[in-house]
Amino acid sequence: MAPSKVLTGQPKPTAISGVVTRRGLATRQNKEFIPDASQKQNLFKDTRIKRKADASPTKDKVTKRYALGNITNAIGKTISTQIQDAKKVAKKVTSQPAKPLTQTTANTRTLDKIVTCKQENIPQSKPKQSVTRAKPQLKKEEEKTEIPAPVIKALNAVRRSIEVEKSDESSLYVSALESLPEESKRLSRTSKDSAKIEAVVKPNNALNQEPEGEKSGPNDRINRNPCPVRKLPPGVSWDLDAENWADHFQVPQYAMDIFEYLKNREKLFVITDYMERQVCLSKWMRSLLVDWMVAVQESFELNHETLYLAVKLVDLYLTKVTVGKETLQLLGAASLFIASKFDERIPPMIEDFLYICDGAYTHRELTRMEINVLKVMDFDLGIPLSYRFLRRYARCAKVSMPTLTLARYILEYSLMDYATISFSDSKMAAAALFLALQMKDLGAWTTTLEYYTGYKLKDFADIVNVLNEGLHRKQKEALSTVRNKYSHKIFFEVAKVALKDKLEM
Amino acid sequence: MLDFCQCTRILPARHRRRDRSNRNIMQKYEKLEKIGEGTYGTVFKAKNLETQEIVALKRVRLDDDDEGVPSSALREICLLKELKHKNIVRLYDVLHSDKKLTLVFEHCDQDLKKYFDSLYGEIDPDVVKSFLFQLLRGLAFCHSRNVLHRDLKPQNLLINKNDELKLADFGLARAFGIPVKCYSAEVVTLWYRPPDVLFGAKLYTTSIDMWSAGCIFAELSNSGRPLFPGSDGDDQLKRIFKMLGTPTEETWPDISTLPDYRAFPQYHLTPGLTQACPKLTARGKDLLQRLLVCNPALRLSAEEAMAHSYFNDLDPAIRNDRCQ
Repeated sequence: MAPSKVLTGQPKPTAISGVVTRRGLATRQNKEFIPDASQKQNLFKDTRIKRKADASPTKDKVTKRYALGNITNAIGKTISTQIQDAKKVAKKVTSQPAKPLTQTTANTRTLDKIVTCKQENIPQSKPKQSVTRAKPQLKKEEEKTEIPAPVIKALNAVRRSIEVEKSDESSLYVSALESLPEESKRLSRTSKDSAKIEAVVKPNNALNQEPEGEKSGPNDRINRNPCPVRKLPPGVSWDLDAENWADHFQVPQYAMDIFEYLKNREKLFVITDYMERQVCLSKWMRSLLVDWMVAVQESFELNHETLYLAVKLVDLYLTKVTVGKETLQLLGAASLFIASKFDERIPPMIEDFLYICDGAYTHRELTRMEINVLKVMDFDLGIPLSYRFLRRYARCAKVSMPTLTLARYILEYSLMDYATISFSDSKMAAAALFLALQMKDLGAWTTTLEYYTGYKLKDFADIVNVLNEGLHRKQKEALSTVRNKYSHKIFFEVAKVALKDKLEM
Repeated sequence: MLDFCQCTRILPARHRRRDRSNRNIMQKYEKLEKIGEGTYGTVFKAKNLETQEIVALKRVRLDDDDEGVPSSALREICLLKELKHKNIVRLYDVLHSDKKLTLVFEHCDQDLKKYFDSLYGEIDPDVVKSFLFQLLRGLAFCHSRNVLHRDLKPQNLLINKNDELKLADFGLARAFGIPVKCYSAEVVTLWYRPPDVLFGAKLYTTSIDMWSAGCIFAELSNSGRPLFPGSDGDDQLKRIFKMLGTPTEETWPDISTLPDYRAFPQYHLTPGLTQACPKLTARGKDLLQRLLVCNPALRLSAEEAMAHSYFNDLDPAIRNDRCQ
């Protein structure tokens, strides 16, 4: 790519940022860290049902930021705010051993913010009526986060109940914590169920037998088929789906089929190197956009699937359509808007998306872009996502939560890296997991992982290197959202795990 | 009257004038009659003037001050684009004009509800078997492609002239992850809603559709008499428990941790279910009992149900259909 297109470290006001200033829009850095108490009150007033609106910052409480406006924002203000940020981070790390996530109302945008809230007032951690729905699990989160040292085990214990009751209002940190491979509670339940299945399977074993007459046993004795025996290749340590046979939340009998199906669908969504054709865009602008999208995901507490899907939509659209830079953020917002409708239980409202774009776009522009993206996608949003594969692979490998979280960090960090856009999602997941295992000194790519992913190390070794290089690259302040997010305790501070210069491949 | 247009594809919005799309109207469909109102739009019967094929058109209005494409329409379109199977209604095309989306579906003569209404006397047991099998096959296809339907009921099962059954109305459907996450508890029409969802469960999986399938099976065997026609959530649960026995922690571990759990009188298991479906054979009753299990973990899956001995004597033409 022509270097002239790359807007690098010493940003200048560009045409894009010109839009920002011309419209006199607020930016994140200048207001975000000075919320006063009265404004905070507002956060809890709105009782509308729509989740995002519920937790939407009021207009004067600024969490929004112009995706590409960072280019300008960075100039004058960054130095002071950076220092401020740094202080806050430091403070947080030292003085907040386990910060209860009382701020579940969407504004936990960055860890700096969490700290600010915590420090500023305690009363504000007692939201009123409007958040009653969220209350029970606020409690739980508190309990959870107050538990000190062997955090992992403790988290395991409460995770399921959180998941069961988790409303979408709950903190994204909790949602990020789902997928614990071993959960004491669930396991106990599971074994109960499987015991029952075994017990009842005996008297009336195969379904293919003629039931004796009209007898109808008690309801609880009626049961599912026993788990079919799957022949594993030698060296594969366990049959995960058989072990989970009684835990229907893991959909054991369809899991293999579904992931095979998703892998087969990858070829339908190939992303090619489009930057040459995108004369108005640069890789840097794409990175800024993704960084902003991660910030939106955090602040709206969207599922990670929503974020990954939205980034896919952006890249697939850009593969097919040339856009101007003033349209790039609109594309990002529309993609998040679509992905939310597809995946979220209660998607944020269109107003919320217009708001986080700082009013840069009109209602009509956003709905127009929505339909355009959908048409370019030919209305097929069933795109295989690396995030989904990673959930599966990590379970199959039975890795610990911190290791899975590290892999997630690697994967999410790579969303900003243009060099990864054309890789297959299942291979990306495998590579991220492998790199996480390496960084944690947890060994090599096992036969078990080969079996469940369908990949040998050599199939994705090149991707591992790209990911590792990405992590080693000089960190840019404008692209710090993912890193900040994963520097938080609740994410086991995985962003601070030491990088590996040499990998055992 | 001609109504439908196909507009230019793949052009960035900002370059297109508001009514340019209307200029390219391709009058491809002739509207014949209104069939009904779907979850989010009017459904018309229409004729494709190029192929003479009869189709169903579902119109979704896009108002300027709205939330864009309604999420139920968006999900239905996206999921049906992906799910191509003989037992799932085919979405041929999506047309967009400025103010509306038009979904072009394959046309079926009636839905199962109307089929019941038009029955003279009793339904043929072989038809029951065939319909249930096709329902299960369509469901197994959805489930193996990580899609939950979440609104199975006779009105959403279409029947064509050849007695082929097709799942329709995916407005409440969604893709699910593994393991499943929390989804909406406000799903499935009351009479076909499983007890776990009636207790407010947000964590559910493919078993949600299997309960509905069980209810439909019973209804099929009784020529259209619904099995649990409750008037509200409580009444619904009462009807279920009276017939199946009230579940306990013993039969359904952790039941009391469900969000809206409330205690019900301890009804004991009666031969209610077998009495309620007298037309079914012993094997049919056995299958029904395995579908209508309160504890979702113990409900049969669609694939397991298809392998049940009830289907041993299924017409091979139906069983061996490639479903392409």
